[in-house]
Amino acid sequence: MTSGFKHTLMEIMDGSPNHAASRWVELAITIVVLVNCSAVILDSVPEIHALYKDFFHELEFWSVMFFTTEYIARVWSLGAKYLKSEGSSWKGRRQYIFSPFGLVDFFATMPYYMHMFFPYLDLRILRVLRLLRILKLSKYNTALQDLFQAVYSERQAFGSAVFLLTIATVVSASLMHFAEGHEQPEFFGTIPHSIYWAIITITSGYGNVEPVTKAGEAIALITGFLGVCMAAIMTGIVASAFSNQVARKKAAFEAQIREIFSDGVVTDEEKETLKRLQAHYRLTDVQVEAMLQRAQNKSGMKG
Amino acid sequence: MTMTSIQRIRRRAYEIMDGAVPDKYSHFVEVFVALLVVANVIGIILESVPEIHEALEAEFHAFDLFSVAVFSVEFVLRVWSYGEKYLHDEDGSEWKGRKEYLFSFYGIIDFVSTVPFYLQLILPGADLRVLRMFRLLRIFKLSRYNSAFDDMVAAVKAERDSFSSAVFLLFISCLLFSSLIYIIEGHKQPEVFPSIPAAMHWFVITIVSGWGNVDPVTFVGTILVIFTQILSIALAAILTGVVSTAYTAQVERRQAMYEMEVRAVLSDGVVTEEEQAKLKIMQAKLGMSDDQVQAIAEQIKEEKKLAETGNS
Repeated sequence: MTSGFKHTLMEIMDGSPNHAASRWVELAITIVVLVNCSAVILDSVPEIHALYKDFFHELEFWSVMFFTTEYIARVWSLGAKYLKSEGSSWKGRRQYIFSPFGLVDFFATMPYYMHMFFPYLDLRILRVLRLLRILKLSKYNTALQDLFQAVYSERQAFGSAVFLLTIATVVSASLMHFAEGHEQPEFFGTIPHSIYWAIITITSGYGNVEPVTKAGEAIALITGFLGVCMAAIMTGIVASAFSNQVARKKAAFEAQIREIFSDGVVTDEEKETLKRLQAHYRLTDVQVEAMLQRAQNKSGMKG
Repeated sequence: MTMTSIQRIRRRAYEIMDGAVPDKYSHFVEVFVALLVVANVIGIILESVPEIHEALEAEFHAFDLFSVAVFSVEFVLRVWSYGEKYLHDEDGSEWKGRKEYLFSFYGIIDFVSTVPFYLQLILPGADLRVLRMFRLLRIFKLSRYNSAFDDMVAAVKAERDSFSSAVFLLFISCLLFSSLIYIIEGHKQPEVFPSIPAAMHWFVITIVSGWGNVDPVTFVGTILVIFTQILSIALAAILTGVVSTAYTAQVERRQAMYEMEVRAVLSDGVVTEEEQAKLKIMQAKLGMSDDQVQAIAEQIKEEKKLAETGNS
């Protein structure tokens, strides 16, 4: 009987729509994470820390208990992911533990216990690890995963943009070093120092140091201009990544529609499939309607 | 069913106010209200300059009285005549159309931008600056005649998942980067990074303007600032990308909508004058160029021809 419960628990923790409880679990985790992150931020303000120290401590204890329960429940229930024939129960567990989400879950909870056993650890590092809990929320954001996918599919273009950025940084930093190294040795004395200036100028269009020579001024102007170009290139790449993704989704959906219309009859089941796909690809009703009409006309032409 | 003369007037008033039927009177009302709104907004801006305000105080007051009178008449006429909207539907009543208008965005704007003036008459002690702010809301009356505002709202709504994930990304990076810089530089520059909220302020300035105005003093801090600078470009690019995709999708949706309408009109094979006028209004409302319309019509004709040869 435990295996049945294990399977149900796995589905609930996984956010399966088959159970009403999975939504509540998701909501509870989201709220606890948000409360936690606000607490870490507020705790860093000295006045608030002095007033509510004990409360924050208490909150941390109970949140760690909550997250520990969550982690254990996940690890235990994921044993039911694969059937006995496909591998042992540790296959699903190992997959989760070493996935990005599993690692985030682990490192966001673990530091508290480490602090208990090694009380002399640097508290600041523990605080950063506590803020990692915000990453737990990305599990529930499918649009974010879409976004990463869009960026990932254009990784070559991004790579060349970064390459351009590197070249621009190195060249303008070296030029600036030669032009102003003697006049302002505290800022441009070494090339690594000027690299910092070059990156600030390229990314913000505003240098943290004013050049004093004519040559330096010219280089600063060109560097600032390069920054505008870099921003334009990056924006163009991301925008095209997004529209490519939208086009891919639509093409996939249209192919499905054509398949459904190929036999000339649209059953209820097929309608259900279309509805699901529409939600999956996040298309609006009007878009779908237009695509359907186009497909209908095409099939009408054939007949 | 014969209409009484009042009903006929109301029907006519509805047609003129709603602008759903092409009509030179409704066009005139549109232009008049739009011009008055623009004059109002210019007046509010000029009034805030003390010298102009003193020189022309009486004129401004008279103009405000006139505008409020016109807008009040407009509001009352709309409420009264919108009773016609669903009157001839099966389950419609007079108040259905009125309620729809009163609780729509434009209804609320019409109300809120006019009524405070009367409040001022009743309660002369009210803060004038607040009233002026309400008057500025009149500019939203213009969006009724232009689809740009609706488009923006619709585009954001359609792409709300992408928008929310971009905002989420911004939120996460704000949290992580500002706490990291607080931990690394907080002890060295306690006046700049005394707490995480202060570091968040630095992060937002960096993301928005590209330069947070703080030079790091540690090596790790320098690396972190460099990463933040690059992140600021990346985040700006992502937001721009989402917006531009949303707008492209919006244009496509419009075309799809228009295409559907054209198909519906052509389905019976005859295009009446009324249908033609309807298409014209739709084209103007969706802001589509004649070329786009032409292309859609061509495509549909082509498809029809192919279908006929295929059938015979």
